[in-house]
Amino acid sequence: MNFANTPSFANQGLPPGGRLFLCVLASLALLVGDSQYGLMEKARDAISVVLYPLQRAANVPLNLTMQVGDFFTAQAALKRENDALRERDLIQSSHLMRMSSLEKELQQLRQLNALAAQPSHAGVVAEVLYTGRDPFAYRLIIDKGSSSGVASGQAVIDENGLIGQVTRVQPLSAEVTQVINRHYIVPVMIQRTGHRALLYGFGGGVEVRYLPISTDIRENDLLVTSGIDGVYLQGIPVARVKQIDRLGGAAFARVRSEVIAGVQSSRFVVIMPNRHLPVAPPVAEAPADTAKADKKSP
Amino acid sequence: MNYDRPQELLKPVKRHFITLTFAVALVLELLPLPQGSNRWLPDFVALLILYWSMNQPRRIGIGMAFGIGLLADVVSTGMFGQHALAYSVGAYLILLRQQQLVMFNLGQQTLVILVLMLLIQLLMAIARWSVGAALPGLGYFLPALIGALLWPLLTKLMLLPYRSERH
Repeated sequence: MNFANTPSFANQGLPPGGRLFLCVLASLALLVGDSQYGLMEKARDAISVVLYPLQRAANVPLNLTMQVGDFFTAQAALKRENDALRERDLIQSSHLMRMSSLEKELQQLRQLNALAAQPSHAGVVAEVLYTGRDPFAYRLIIDKGSSSGVASGQAVIDENGLIGQVTRVQPLSAEVTQVINRHYIVPVMIQRTGHRALLYGFGGGVEVRYLPISTDIRENDLLVTSGIDGVYLQGIPVARVKQIDRLGGAAFARVRSEVIAGVQSSRFVVIMPNRHLPVAPPVAEAPADTAKADKKSP
Repeated sequence: MNYDRPQELLKPVKRHFITLTFAVALVLELLPLPQGSNRWLPDFVALLILYWSMNQPRRIGIGMAFGIGLLADVVSTGMFGQHALAYSVGAYLILLRQQQLVMFNLGQQTLVILVLMLLIQLLMAIARWSVGAALPGLGYFLPALIGALLWPLLTKLMLLPYRSERH
């Protein structure tokens, strides 16, 4: 150990107290600047690019073990998986055939109605690099960023349902806030009835709030995105209702639900393109004007 | 009772070694570990800051703690300044009594480290709470406890490359 401490007469620069004062002041300024005004995004971008090699390096051992594990997968398991996939492929291709004809039909109907054609729903596939080590928030870091066309606000799904939304984009990576994060709200509807509701994340789970006690909702009902918010496409599964408490005195039912997507386990995710909804028409204007506004928007 | 302090002369600590230890700690934060591991995994960067500011006070001081804290802020997807604030306060408290702390045996050091790790966690919780995050439960302080328990091990580990060849 080093016992050669600086003798007091050789002290240079500020005393420790002064240094601490400066550092505390700087970090408080950073805290306020980052949380209130979002001033630090540029710096965060720069540091995240510098850290990108470290991120990839941290993923190397896991990828290696996964590759080795893949190599030694039993033939029987492969065969079983292949059969299951083929079966699913058959089912899905039949769905797809119907879909494509329906889509064509819909396109024609839309054109008839002089509505802007919706963009096709091709997403960007990304890999989850790691889960943010911040006990205050539920976030994922994915390996696609603004260089791959990811923009903040885009919805992120896995093969089962909604995972969350891109909230911060860096050149080579992006942060996804998960639906179970506190203050995260998804406009959903009950798939069975079409009744619309709001799904709130509360930090570790989701629940439907402000649903009148008389609403027709049952256990195991599927909650899907309603698509009226301009962020999520319609019909992405979000959660399944687990338990409903209808307390006598309360105005709202307590609906506990469970997220469907592998919010904490999925390794690959799809980033959906943003929906381009027409700009909301001014309330007082005539309907002719809104039709024009629709045509202008992409 | 001087059994845990090295008796032999130690080789001087290289700057590269300090950098390497911090790089390893940051990579540990970036590892794709299963979710929930951050409920118990200690903050290795904080432990290293405390270790180096105790043993190499002229290399790792308040300013370095602040800078490394900024890196940790970006890595942990937290708020800017949260780790920087906590780490610089931790380094300052170590430096206040550094001459005494290096003379303590490992048990006494562990107690001091426990208090400092708890304080670091508390500072970060307060920082986040004041800008609008929810206050975490008591389980939030478990990593600090585990980190303090790892302190003797960390000390032994850090000294390994610097024991001189003579026996």
